[in-house]
Amino acid sequence: MTIRRAHVRAALAGLPLALVLSLTGCAGKPAGTAAATAASGTSATSSASGTPSHGREQRIEVTFAHGKATGDTGRVQVAKGTAVTLVVTSDAADEVHLHGYDIEKELTPGTPATLQFTADVAGVFEVELHHAGTVLLRLQVS
Amino acid sequence: MEVLAHGVGTRTDLPIPMGLALFGAGAAILLTFAVLLLFWRKPRLGGVDAGRPLPAGLQRVLDGAPLRRVLQVLLLAVAVLVVVVALTGPDDTPHNLAPWVFYVTFWVGLVPASLLLGPIWRVVNPLRLLHRLLEPALPHPPGAGRLPDLGLWPATVSLFAFLWLELVSPHRSDPAVVGWFLIGYAVVHLGLSAWFGAGWFAAGDGFEVYSSVIARLSPWGRRDDGRLVFRNPMAGAISTPARPGLSGVVVLLLGATAFDGLSRTVFWQNGPGASNDPISGTVGMLAMIALVTAMYLLGTRLSGRLAGQPTGVQPRRYAATVIPIALGYTVAHYFSLFVLDGQTTWILASNPFGTAGTDLFGTAGNVVDLSLVSAGAIALVQVCAIVVGHVVGVTLAHERALLAARRARASDQLPLVVVMVAFTFGGLGLLFGF
Repeated sequence: MTIRRAHVRAALAGLPLALVLSLTGCAGKPAGTAAATAASGTSATSSASGTPSHGREQRIEVTFAHGKATGDTGRVQVAKGTAVTLVVTSDAADEVHLHGYDIEKELTPGTPATLQFTADVAGVFEVELHHAGTVLLRLQVS
Repeated sequence: MEVLAHGVGTRTDLPIPMGLALFGAGAAILLTFAVLLLFWRKPRLGGVDAGRPLPAGLQRVLDGAPLRRVLQVLLLAVAVLVVVVALTGPDDTPHNLAPWVFYVTFWVGLVPASLLLGPIWRVVNPLRLLHRLLEPALPHPPGAGRLPDLGLWPATVSLFAFLWLELVSPHRSDPAVVGWFLIGYAVVHLGLSAWFGAGWFAAGDGFEVYSSVIARLSPWGRRDDGRLVFRNPMAGAISTPARPGLSGVVVLLLGATAFDGLSRTVFWQNGPGASNDPISGTVGMLAMIALVTAMYLLGTRLSGRLAGQPTGVQPRRYAATVIPIALGYTVAHYFSLFVLDGQTTWILASNPFGTAGTDLFGTAGNVVDLSLVSAGAIALVQVCAIVVGHVVGVTLAHERALLAARRARASDQLPLVVVMVAFTFGGLGLLFGF
């Protein structure tokens, strides 16, 4: 009797955890389905923006003058795998830095500098001018 | 060098997919009703007397002075090294160990460490060692008697100072700023511990209080008879002493993390936070903390009123039930930072002073692998952390309500539970980017 009660109690105590795990899909079998939804979510976006991203190209241009960035500023979306050409022109000598990919380039006033890379790491990355301390744009690779 | 939203980092997470956000929201709602309607109707998690005691021999070693002193000496050595590197090592953040150790390995790492090992910072806190060394030269602490009344409020001040540095201060990733902050932190807290006595650290050292608060959800705890026990983490959380200021600590942590989430959204970056200056950051951070505080006070007081209990004690009574929600937010926001940018610490540790040819651990040539965890996996961890935190929070609030009044109606808990659902929707919304 007491044993049975203890069992019921143990089962009840386990209930919240079991519910959490099964319903949120954080462990066991449901994880597969949850992971699948997550994966299909991302693959849906990438397939919508073009089947195998080989050969995809994107040109991003931004100009910095009188302390203000114009052109492709803000959040710029790029599909993962795209060959990106980022062209930056500044009216002052500076250094442009793409975080994460860690690409830096010296800028001479008035001369466009070109950064070429394949956007193969997902995430949001800042493109920033070191001396001015300005974020020109944020690259969203997904 | 300019930096991203949090202390340091080279990337931020992608917005979570819409489907996953809705899935998380739906799961949160469903589980909330399950907790309210299907779970136990009598308190049953156990409290301060719960848990399976560890062998007495093991407890003697763990509680013994030798282990603590050795760990404190080690941590002090590391802290001194970090400060020296911060002030004399490479000038630029990507090559200086200090900001990475401090913001990522230490601050974020304190969460898994405390969750797995218990209130670890209390045991290894190098400031406690320094205080102990200074103590013989100090007069009897004149403020010791006032400390119990202050509760954890001093820690909210200390934590706010750190969080402002981490999330708002324009030069936060500057190695020298990190070095001077650490020196200042040590001086201030040693001074205050001279005034208030060794009890100060558990009340006012933000890092120690943070670690102890998170550790309420670890499987290790101390029973009311002093024995170290292995227990249900929820029993640990529910028996958290309702010290004054605990609610302040949890709403501060939740509000600051919410601000960090907000500052990563397109809305913030192109809107109110576009100027990216300390004023907009400070206002944004205070606004988020105020919002979380107002919601929490409203929920707990309304619940108290419905249950016919004095509303004044409610915020303190339920504060521990918000710990898992704050923890969920923290995991959701800093998991990727810890696993991805956290690699930098171990790379730079091989050559802390940036001298040519030094490679202590053979990692100096490594590069951070930002594809170690996929974007899909990060999103899944984020949503799971928020939802699990929510469910544990609602469950604890349910138990707490039953402890306060044995015949509590489920409907009395509704205002607080609605606020918790709002925190969760807010958390998912910030991850989704609204």
